[in-house]
Amino acid sequence: MRKTRVLLLSFVSIFFLAARADEFRFPLKFGSVRFAAIGDMGTGDTPQYEVAQRMVAARQNFPFEFVIMLGDNIYGGSTPRDFEKKFEVPYKPLLDAGVKFYASLGNHDNPNERFYKLFNMNEATYYTFKKGNVRFYVLDSNYMDAKQLEWLQKQLQEAGEGDWKICYFHHPLYSSGKTHGSSIELRSLIEPLFIKYGVDAVFSGHDHVYERVKPEKGIYYFVEGSSGQLRAGGLAKSSITDDGFDSDRTFMMIEITGDELYFQTLSRAGNQVDSGVLRRPVRTPAPTK
Amino acid sequence: MQTKRWPRHASQAMLLAAVLLFERAAIVGGQNAAPPSSKEEAKNAAEFKEFLDRVQAYVNLHKTVASSLPTLKPTPLPEKINAHEQALARKIREARPHAKRGDIFSEKSVAAFRRAVRDEFEGAQGRLARKTIQQGEPLKEVHVRINEPYPDGVPFTTVPPTLLLRFPKLPDEVAYRIVGRDLILQDVEANLVIDSIHEIFPPAI
Repeated sequence: MRKTRVLLLSFVSIFFLAARADEFRFPLKFGSVRFAAIGDMGTGDTPQYEVAQRMVAARQNFPFEFVIMLGDNIYGGSTPRDFEKKFEVPYKPLLDAGVKFYASLGNHDNPNERFYKLFNMNEATYYTFKKGNVRFYVLDSNYMDAKQLEWLQKQLQEAGEGDWKICYFHHPLYSSGKTHGSSIELRSLIEPLFIKYGVDAVFSGHDHVYERVKPEKGIYYFVEGSSGQLRAGGLAKSSITDDGFDSDRTFMMIEITGDELYFQTLSRAGNQVDSGVLRRPVRTPAPTK
Repeated sequence: MQTKRWPRHASQAMLLAAVLLFERAAIVGGQNAAPPSSKEEAKNAAEFKEFLDRVQAYVNLHKTVASSLPTLKPTPLPEKINAHEQALARKIREARPHAKRGDIFSEKSVAAFRRAVRDEFEGAQGRLARKTIQQGEPLKEVHVRINEPYPDGVPFTTVPPTLLLRFPKLPDEVAYRIVGRDLILQDVEANLVIDSIHEIFPPAI
């Protein structure tokens, strides 16, 4: 019998803490999953280094264990010097502290970055990994062919319902960025899988701004494309925008414990841009006929 | 001797493409045309067969050449990745020194690829495909040549995913790319341009 599922999202169960920096606190619960998110960072320019320094400072209070990279990891070339200047040097303190980086590919990335051990891609342009109660799906949105779609469907299908499911990739399905905006064609192919198999949250970059999108069909979407690049004034806040920021570089920190996802977005200057708590949507299987 | 993988892969790809295109049609408001009929599929399969045979022959060559080099495993040393990429490209160039346009994209397949692009861009969903390419930072001033590397530092224009579903599925060693109005076939690991179809895409993208 084909088991169908419906997604029942109770917006009562979603709450945001519109907190100021001095009010927001990560719970730092034992066994929680703690990570940072950066996108469009690999410029090698001063702002990237300043964001990296801010990440190091923030880690003293919020000891994140790994970083998800939302693409455009190395702009402008893939020589050893590029890797050094645009990744190894700025994030050296984090690398030295044992923080792992898990990369997705942007349109400025040479696909052979998959062989770079510090990106933890294990030779694949799309892959999955698990941390605690969170399963991550890292996609190659530059090249969403039938093979990758089959792989994604199979992976989501096999994951079951117990864990958080988080997808990340470069091109945003929802974005109010003036430069690129939503990748509607990509959305038409992968959003149905996200809905069907209960993906909880999605992180992307590409638009050089920060945006938290209102939950779309029960899924939380973030655009974090300003961890090195910045399109100042590049966010045209729209009906899909819950919050956004486009006047400085940013990065995100996330803690997942049980059914709650805590997040805080900081600017290069260390100011809080956004923060809150998202509760995992309630999903119940549909009655079977 | 070439491996005869075409029928199974091609039929799987066509089936999935048909299903996904059909689902997508519903999602974008029924704008899309119906999935290809079995008659159209058969015609496509016939037209793409020679192309896929040639792709497989190329992949066999790639594998032979790659086997003469140390296997590239994940490494913290980017210079090793660069050296491998360049050595592989050099040896492939040596193995096909006179490679030229049309060596892999057969004449029949070019017609089928052009038809697929036309159907994609002229259909109701053409607007979305154009937008995908525009969002992927299309390359207008870049010219690539067969048997030369894809230029370092130049972005990869996003290939519209629905267009990929219309194209025959490729082995992992090669990928479709878009440069300007041309469709490029790239050896991914060697970062080498191995064939192209000139001006297959409409001018206004």
